[in-house]
Parts: sequence; structure tokens; C-alpha cells
Amino acid sequence: MQRFIPSALVVAMSLGLAACNKQAPQGEHVSINKNPYPSTYQPYESAELLIKNATVLTGTGERLDNADVLILNGKISQVGENLSHASARVIDANGKWVTPGIIDVHSHLGAYPNPSVESHQDGNEMTSPNTAYVWVEHSVWPQDPGFNTARAGGITSLQILPGSANLFGGRGVTLKNVPAHTMQAMKFPDAPYGLKMACGENPKRVYGSRKISPSTRMGNMAGYRSAWAEATEYKRAWEKYDADHQLGLAVDAPERDIKLDTLRGVLDGDIMIHNHCYKAEEMAMMIDLSKEFGYHAGTFHHGIEAYKIADLLADNGSCAALWPDWWGFKMEAYDMVQENIAIVDAVKNSCAIVHSDSDTTIQRLNQEAAKVMYRANENGFDIKEEHAIRWITQNAAKSLGVDDKVGSLETGKQADVVIWNQSPFSVYAKAEQVFIDGAKVYDRSDEKYQAKSDFMLGQQ
Amino acid sequence: MKLFKKTLLAAAVLSSAGAMAKTTAIINADIHTATEQGVLKNYSLLIEDGKIAAISNLKLDADEIIDAQGKIVTPGFIGSMNQLGLVEVGAVASSRDGNEKKGGITFDPSLAFNPKSTLIAYARKGGITRDVIAPSWGESPFVGLSSTVNLSGEFGTSVVDSQNAIIVNLGGTKDGSRAASLAKFIDKLEGQQTKLEKKSDKKDDKAEPSKEEKLLTAALKGEKPIVVRVSRAQDMLELIKVKERFGIDLVLSGAEDALPIKAELAAAKVPVILSAMANLPGSFDSLNASLTTAGELEKAGVQVALTIAGDSSHNVYQLRYDAGNAVAYGMSREGALKAITSNVADIFNIEDAGSIAVGKAADLAIWSADPFEISTTLEKVMINGVAVSTESRHDKLRDRYMAESNMPRAYTK
Repeated sequence: MQRFIPSALVVAMSLGLAACNKQAPQGEHVSINKNPYPSTYQPYESAELLIKNATVLTGTGERLDNADVLILNGKISQVGENLSHASARVIDANGKWVTPGIIDVHSHLGAYPNPSVESHQDGNEMTSPNTAYVWVEHSVWPQDPGFNTARAGGITSLQILPGSANLFGGRGVTLKNVPAHTMQAMKFPDAPYGLKMACGENPKRVYGSRKISPSTRMGNMAGYRSAWAEATEYKRAWEKYDADHQLGLAVDAPERDIKLDTLRGVLDGDIMIHNHCYKAEEMAMMIDLSKEFGYHAGTFHHGIEAYKIADLLADNGSCAALWPDWWGFKMEAYDMVQENIAIVDAVKNSCAIVHSDSDTTIQRLNQEAAKVMYRANENGFDIKEEHAIRWITQNAAKSLGVDDKVGSLETGKQADVVIWNQSPFSVYAKAEQVFIDGAKVYDRSDEKYQAKSDFMLGQQ
Repeated sequence: MKLFKKTLLAAAVLSSAGAMAKTTAIINADIHTATEQGVLKNYSLLIEDGKIAAISNLKLDADEIIDAQGKIVTPGFIGSMNQLGLVEVGAVASSRDGNEKKGGITFDPSLAFNPKSTLIAYARKGGITRDVIAPSWGESPFVGLSSTVNLSGEFGTSVVDSQNAIIVNLGGTKDGSRAASLAKFIDKLEGQQTKLEKKSDKKDDKAEPSKEEKLLTAALKGEKPIVVRVSRAQDMLELIKVKERFGIDLVLSGAEDALPIKAELAAAKVPVILSAMANLPGSFDSLNASLTTAGELEKAGVQVALTIAGDSSHNVYQLRYDAGNAVAYGMSREGALKAITSNVADIFNIEDAGSIAVGKAADLAIWSADPFEISTTLEKVMINGVAVSTESRHDKLRDRYMAESNMPRAYTK
């Protein structure tokens, strides 16, 4: 800071804080805007609603038979038996089931949209093994017809992640699954950002084939460690700058680096890790890596071998977001067991999640959870619907850092709610009505509430 | 499930040794025949020499009696258009044998079928007893030949019927025009038809026809189906014209955009193999993809078979769930059952399986309840009258990691 501004110097000196740098005046504090693409989401107009006589799975592990859900001002007001309200519209849900809105923690909708033509391949910035500087929200096409089909399957919130080609794939974003024509209008207010990391075969294949690092799993680890070491220095530099500035020193702000901003966000605990990682030994090392550099290892996605280290995951407070039965498409997906999610879930303090990573199965995450529950129950487990629903509601919300807002039907939570024609664990189950913040966003029997993408309009 | 007289193991050993003299009866069953007979409640069936010897509402006697206790018996399900036994791990090139870039019409991947693949025991968990394996791509529109295999996992006898259909890929491509691919397809048929007409004029021509010529001749006589992977409605209409011109036994696969032309498909008697789950506009060829397609085609009178979208080799066990979803969106229960049994058999000329009728192979599945429902347990699977295990490598891994042991997991086997 070379400019001489007398008034600033006088102020600083009068505070007695500039003693060690009398030559230079203090410049304005440089701070980084952490939210430059803010959510513009506004809940749609909601009515006062009283859903009566349903089988309610609360998302907290409870099942209430013949119960009611009262929604006021877009929030869950009450859940219980024989509720009444003077002005609320009553929906008779006798014989139907009610659950929290379904949450998918792993989607590429909008970034790999339909139609999946060349021009739409926006999910993987495959140009460097560390692209922590990209934000997948900048790829999201809100007109992806997949958002609408997912909503018809009861999906009310979802995390869009970049792909897994890179060690650091970039930031993920959590969306409310409302029809909109800007990304910001879907953005889940106050949801923390995620950072996609990837273990194993994908990064080493993509970069190894170009004869650049990483080409091996040890190269992957070296890549993460170098990046975190650099981020640690960056964090230190900014913290020193902030502290010195606070002391009134005339210090220069460190050079801004948007890649390191993201990594530092993780070290600061603002950004949550979402780690594509299949194998037990790799997940165990990723946990040590996080301890080496002082951040939380976050959620492991696709962990085909999570069942081998269920204790370790729970001890570390890591969620595991998994498929019920995908397997065999590559070596690291060879050791699948159909009970993976059930085994992970059975450990105390666990956080098991059913995810889709698919524009198809995201439409039936309820059936995906059902496959796990019933196949596990054939092999010694005794899992009930009220518990299994947590894999696609409360646990998913926890993984995304939004469990204080959604994921369960508790008083004060955002009224993201699905009414099903029957148990959602049936192959014949259909979401009949879907609400987000108390507003109806889908109705199977009313075309008015069936959104259509711009792309599909007028097609024959 | 109560077993009398013989243990399962003994039964399996006897039959695999070829000693098929003994008979088995399944009694007290709800038999879903996948024939015009529909559901036979509280019936029994008799198995002799690996075949269904009798179906009766009387108590049948046999060396071995299986009391189904009112549970549901269906034909074993038949997967199709996948690469079961031709791929172990998708990304491991040396474990993939289903496709050949320059293969062309004569490429027959069934020579590479591995009955010991871990995918086969896994597929049996879904009640799959047979499967039609088919190449999925190649440079030419003619990508090769399909074959029927059974899921017994046995050396030597698993490939039941090789080269049972000609597989062709048409529609939008990255390079060039779809018109060129379609023309190439038509030219082949036309060329062979011309040869055959000339040949019938010259009776002295004794040159042995090539493999390709034999296949095309069989196709032109309507003896060997031609299964065309195609998505767009207009392309399917062009293919109906080809069928009418050459008299081929045309089958459409994929057919995401079939909905707007269901009447034309029905009138032309063209069977359709599709995924019940394909409802997204994956390309400009599939803008009308819908969860209701299977049911709507059925109602229009089209013969429908269901297949799995995506990785259909590793996931073929899910066929019963797909059938359930087809029912949820409008297909009849009976239609959905046929779509994974007798319709597949009919399309690929599998004469000895796909339904429960006297003379058919005893490829059977016994279910605790509705076979399409996720909560339902598969209780028993038989192939050629022999009980086969549904245990796969996946179960071994689960058991290893759930076992109580003070020793490292590697000692739990």
C-alpha cells in the first residue's frame, strides 16, 4: 500500500495501532464475497393445508398411523392425530402415505441434462486434475426435463455435483426442485456449498491417458496432499492479512485465487466434502488425509465397499451415499453387496443414504430404498419403513448440511412433503402430490401442476 | 417351503449327473402360466426329464414333492438384448467379448459365452433362467447375431440356441446421415433377394452360399428375425415399409418413440422390445419416451417384451421390478408377465421355454407373493427341472463382513 492518505494515517496513529509501520497508511480491508451468485428462490404461493388420516413417516424414524400433517406459512406446523384448523384446506389422505420431500444428494441434472447431446456435456471440466475453481451451478440448465420427472417422483431437494474425472471436480450446489428459468431461482437458500473430490479409477485414467499426473492411485493421493498443502498456506496468508489489518497494519491482501478460495472454504468448515470413492482402503486413507490437513472428510459417494469399513465411517461422522445394486461397470465397483446400505446403517451414529447419480433412478429413489430394505430383511435384518425412509430424507439432509431446514416432518421445518398413493416402498407407489415450502409443485391428477420444460414445449 | 423325500442337494446332484428318472411335483401352487390359460389357482405340476409333464388341479404324486403352500409359480424370466456371460467388468477390456468393431452380420459372440461369469448367479436372484445375448455396436449397421443361453452356469450346455436373430443398429449417428445406414440395410436385403431370384432361374449354379448369404436368405424367408435398435418414430415407419417389401420378421428394440405410431406397429405386427423405465428425451430421436409406452402398446395390440435400460448385463435381475413399474403405468399384469417370458420366447423363437405348459422346459420360479413387488422373496428357481442356487459372490462378501470373528476377514470363507 503506497498511497499516502493523511486522514487515514492520523486515525490509525491516534488509535495507537500503526506503531510498527509508520511509513504506510492502511488500505481498505479486502474481503472475499462468499456468495456472489445468491439464491433468488422465493417459495411459491402456499395455502394453509391439513393433510388428514395418512400413514405418516416423519423422517425421524417414526411412523404415525392415521395421522395428520398441518402446514401453515410454508412450514410444518404440527404432526399428530386429530388435528384441526379453522381455515386450512383439508386433504383427505385416507389410505395414503405421507413422507418428507425426497432428497437426492448425488445428481447431475442440469449439468448432464436431457437430451444428452454434445452441447450439453457440462458436468466434467476435464482439463486439469484440480478444478476446484469451477462451480457446477454455472453449468446448470434449469430447463432439463429431468427436473420435472424427478419432481414427479417426489424429489424436492437435490445436490448437483460436477463429475468425477478430477481429483477436485469443483463445487456442488444444492437446489430446491422447483420449476424455474434461472439457476439462482432454484438455489436452496443458505445451503452450504459442497466440494466434489474423486478417488480411484476415474482421475488416474483421465490424466494417466494424457501422460500427466495422476496416473496411479498414489498419484491421486499426492495430488490431494499438494493441493491441501497449498490451500493451508493460502488460508494462513489470508488469516495473517486479516489479523494484521485488524491491528491497523498497512498490509497487502494476498493474491486472490478462486481455486484456493474453495479449498480454503473446506478448511474453514464452510464447504462440505462430497467424495466419489468406491473402495474401503481408499476411503480409510481419505479420512486420514482430512485429519492430516484439518478438515472433515464429509460424505463418501458410491462407496461400493462401505460395508467393509462401516465402523470407521460412523466413527468419523461420515455419511455414505450409495446405490442399492449398481455394480461391475469397473473394477472398483466389483465388490458390491445388496446389503451395503443396511450394513453401513446398522452401526451406531451412522449416516446411510440412498443416492441416484441417475436421471432415471432419481425418479424412484423410494423404490431404490425399498430394494435395500427388503433384500436386507431377507438376510437377517429387520428394517422398517419408518427407518428406511431416513436414507432418502433426514440422512440426505444431514449430508448436505440442511437438516435444520428439511428432511423431516417436524414443527418449524420447511414444508417439503410428498403424498403417496400407497407405501412408497411398493413397486406400484406413485407420488400423487408434491409440496415445496407448502406450495403444491406437482399433482399427478391435475395437469396444471405438471411443469413442462421449455425444451419440450411444442415438440411432436 | 417343505421338501419331502429328498433333500435339495441330493436332487441337484442326481439331476446334474443326468439321472433324470425321478419325477418332481410342485403342489398347491398358483401357477401363472403366461399362456391363454392365465392363472391356475391351487394347481400342481409334474416335472419329468427336465420338462413339464403334467399340469393338474388334482394332487400329483412324484419322487419329490414341493409344497408351494399357495405361493406363485411363474415361468423363469427371460432377459434379452444384453451381454450376460460376455462381460465381467465393464471397464476391463479383456473381460468384454460382446462387440466387435468390424464384426458385421456374421459376428457371433456366443462363442465367447462364459457360464461361470459372476453375473449369471446374480441374475438368477431375479428369477432369470434364460437370456438372449446380443452384440450392441459395431461399425456396420449389422452388428452381429444374438443367441439364447440358459443360466444354469454349466459348461457345455448353456448356449441353447445360437445365432437366433440378426441384430441391426439404425437411427441418428454422430457421423453422417441415418439415411445412409438405412440404405445400407435395405441394399443388403435387396442384393440377396436379387441373387435368390437369379439362382432360381439358373438351376445349375451349385456355388455354396457364404455365411452372410445364408443369414440374409433366412431373414428374407422370415425364418430368422431381424432385431433393429432404433428410437425415432419416423425411422420405425421406414422399417415397417422394409418389412412389407421383403417379408422379413422385423422386431424393434429400444423404440423409445413408439407411442405416436402404436397403431401402425400393431397393424404391421411388429413386436417391440423396450425398457419400461425409458421416459426421458435422451436424444431428438426419443422425445415421446414415456412410462406409459409399454402399457399403451399392449392395449394397441403390439407384442411387447421388456428389457433393462443402461447396464442391462449386470442389472438384468431387476427385470421383475421393471415389469411392476410397467403395471403401475398401465400394462396388464398378465401382459407384463408375458413381456418378460412368453413374448421374449416368441420373438426369438425359443420354443421350449417362456411359459408353463406341458412339454416346455421346467424353467420355473417360486415366489412368496406378487413376483413384481419389491417386498416379494424369490424362494426357488429351477432350470430344466433342477433347482439352481441364487447365491452369488455378493452373498459371500456380505457374509464375510457380517461374520463374528476374531481373525482377519480373509480367514472367513
